Amino acid sequence: MACRNIDQAPSSHAGILPAAPRSPWRKLLYVKQEYPDNYVDDTFLEELQKNANVRQYEYWSVVLESTIISQHISSIVIFVAIFIYLYFGLLSSHALITMGTVGTAVGYGFWDWSNTMLTPDSNYQRRKIFKGAVLFFLTLLGLTPILKTLTEKTSEDTIWALTVILFLANLAFHDYGSGNRRNIKYPGSLSTNAAIFASVVLASRFKTNLHVFGLMSFAVEWFALFPMLRRQVRSISNRGNLALSFVLFLTATTLFSQISPAIVVIYILGMVFLTFVCPFWLIWIQRYKNEIHGPWDEARPKIQHGRSVDNY
Amino acid sequence: MVSDFFYPNAGGVESHLYHLSQRLIQRGHKVIIITHAYGSRTGIRCLTNGLKVYHVPMMVVFQAASPPTLYGFFPIFRSIVLRERISIVHGHQAFSAMCHEAIIHARTMGLKTCFTDHSLFGFSDPSSIVMNKFLKFTLSDIDHVVCVSHTSKENTVLRAALTPQNVSVIPNAVIASRFKPDPSMQDPNVTTIVVISRQTYRKGMDLLVAVVPRICRKYSKVRFVIGGDGPKRIDLEQMREKHLLHDRVEFLGSIKAHQVRNTLVRGQIFLNTSLTEAFCIGIVEAACAGLLVVSTKVGGVPEVLPRHMILFAKPEEDDLVEALDRAIEMIQRKEVQPAKFNDELKEMYSWVNVAERTEKVYDAISQTRDPPLIERLRSYYGCGVFVGKLFCIMIALDYLFWVYLEWILPRDEIEPAPKFPYKKFKKMCQRADKEDELQPGVDSL
Repeated sequence: MACRNIDQAPSSHAGILPAAPRSPWRKLLYVKQEYPDNYVDDTFLEELQKNANVRQYEYWSVVLESTIISQHISSIVIFVAIFIYLYFGLLSSHALITMGTVGTAVGYGFWDWSNTMLTPDSNYQRRKIFKGAVLFFLTLLGLTPILKTLTEKTSEDTIWALTVILFLANLAFHDYGSGNRRNIKYPGSLSTNAAIFASVVLASRFKTNLHVFGLMSFAVEWFALFPMLRRQVRSISNRGNLALSFVLFLTATTLFSQISPAIVVIYILGMVFLTFVCPFWLIWIQRYKNEIHGPWDEARPKIQHGRSVDNY
Repeated sequence: MVSDFFYPNAGGVESHLYHLSQRLIQRGHKVIIITHAYGSRTGIRCLTNGLKVYHVPMMVVFQAASPPTLYGFFPIFRSIVLRERISIVHGHQAFSAMCHEAIIHARTMGLKTCFTDHSLFGFSDPSSIVMNKFLKFTLSDIDHVVCVSHTSKENTVLRAALTPQNVSVIPNAVIASRFKPDPSMQDPNVTTIVVISRQTYRKGMDLLVAVVPRICRKYSKVRFVIGGDGPKRIDLEQMREKHLLHDRVEFLGSIKAHQVRNTLVRGQIFLNTSLTEAFCIGIVEAACAGLLVVSTKVGGVPEVLPRHMILFAKPEEDDLVEALDRAIEMIQRKEVQPAKFNDELKEMYSWVNVAERTEKVYDAISQTRDPPLIERLRSYYGCGVFVGKLFCIMIALDYLFWVYLEWILPRDEIEPAPKFPYKKFKKMCQRADKEDELQPGVDSL
């Protein structure tokens, strides 16, 4: 505070007698005031707003929201388990394909039904969807021999490492936030691509075409279609969402209990941490939130007639 | 004075630096400007009244700003400062890495430092957060800070965690005589609204796009003159196409500093749609040129002009239209006499006043005691848990680098530059002027 009150004496441009009672300071630049330039008024930072937009979270609602993440983790764990079962011959490819087809058919039925319930006026072209599905699986079948030999020359360690990285990418970029079911966001598609790539890499470890086709078709159903269904369930009912999370959790646990109990323990601990500890942590850390708003903030222009303003 | 931004680059900071330096020279100080090289403009240049400009060779990365070099700038900076026998280093503009570096090095060398902030920053977007960290770093150990408006002061105090007493508010100024109103340039049959700004999102061009057609539909005798250029230009032109306003809206493209006045005097109303603004010299210039100002009420704008010169609006389409309605009515009924604004503003915003007030800041900081190095380190240490330690390392290295420079390039070996004889120069100018008057036919050069 070396230069507290730069000019104690009335400044030359003010020209007002020091004896005169000071008129109150005003936050204006065009008037000459008898206050020094570094004067700090009581109104300093009066317009400062702290944490104006902060929303207080409720513990159980955060717990409920966290199921989005736990469901996704569970689905990845289940996929890996199914690959291991297939790899060691505990599960036949026929069974997997049948399961996948039945599951997809049931899921589609539910999706179709709930869509007509929610938005009755929308006209889905079921024929088109069906045609697309048949075409897609035929193409996949045709590509199977190529996929099989794709990474023949690569060692297994590389494959496992690559798979882990790709699934982590899938986990990180998955579109958790948006509730929309039509438009595909960029990071969301990146995540789906990572998962499909991981499945291709894993599938190429198999010796027969049918195995490769089984895993690939399952991967497409599991990583591209299943998240859409999960989103749908979440938007319809909370109870259904909880039930789905629980079913996924149980499936993952039972599948992995045959493979490695250690992983089961880690998985269960992780899930507990994610579902019950993390929400608490988030709420606790909220107290350190310090959001500052004031007149210096960039104003948001309000424009009528429904036109949107894009930043930059 | 140190800043990345100086002529030939055009803008508010540049002209601020130039005019402030000129006035300080007139008051008997020695002023030099350090900036980076602009294309072929390199080396040392002398401007009016012996204002020396050092164009330091540096790479330019983005919009005339140089990248941070940490210590790369120190040797040349030290040579310049010793050569010119500088006692106060005054940095300008938070965007300028050069200014931050100069302040740190100057503190290491034991010089007095001062910093002027010309813009406002939020606290939420990533670029602001990084910028604010930088600012906190350099301003931890500064002697004094100058802001251009009270809002800007509040903002800077929060951003850099400063003591408010160490921050002065000294507004910008205009040369009122250069913005003389000229009612004969106006079209008496129509009301002309002038807009001059960079056409970017931050200047509220989306609002302008929404407002122009509504005003044109409402009044048949209103014209728009829009000057400036930028990424939002396309939106504006699309608006003109869509609403078939080719005869009502005129685009001038980018306008040079000396053409601004001639553009301004064509209109009766000046419209500013900025979304954020520390001071907004544009509205002062417009009022000087005899225009009624309509502006969004953001940042430091409410502090700048007296109430009878300006109409405020919220940054909303409807409110702006309403404010323009009022303004057009006032102009058509001749309720205001904008031509008189010039005389009033001449008193309010003059560079002499700014220089005087800046001088006071300089006087005050030259009397302060220099803190020892350990004291400086302590203030940097307080910046943050991790960052404080990092800053301390950087400052300690800077200090060691300075000791090394003192050893490799001793002070005594740097030849001081001769002082520009300003008084003699002024006398010569006066004599030349007199001779000119006596012999009108002879060119004095």
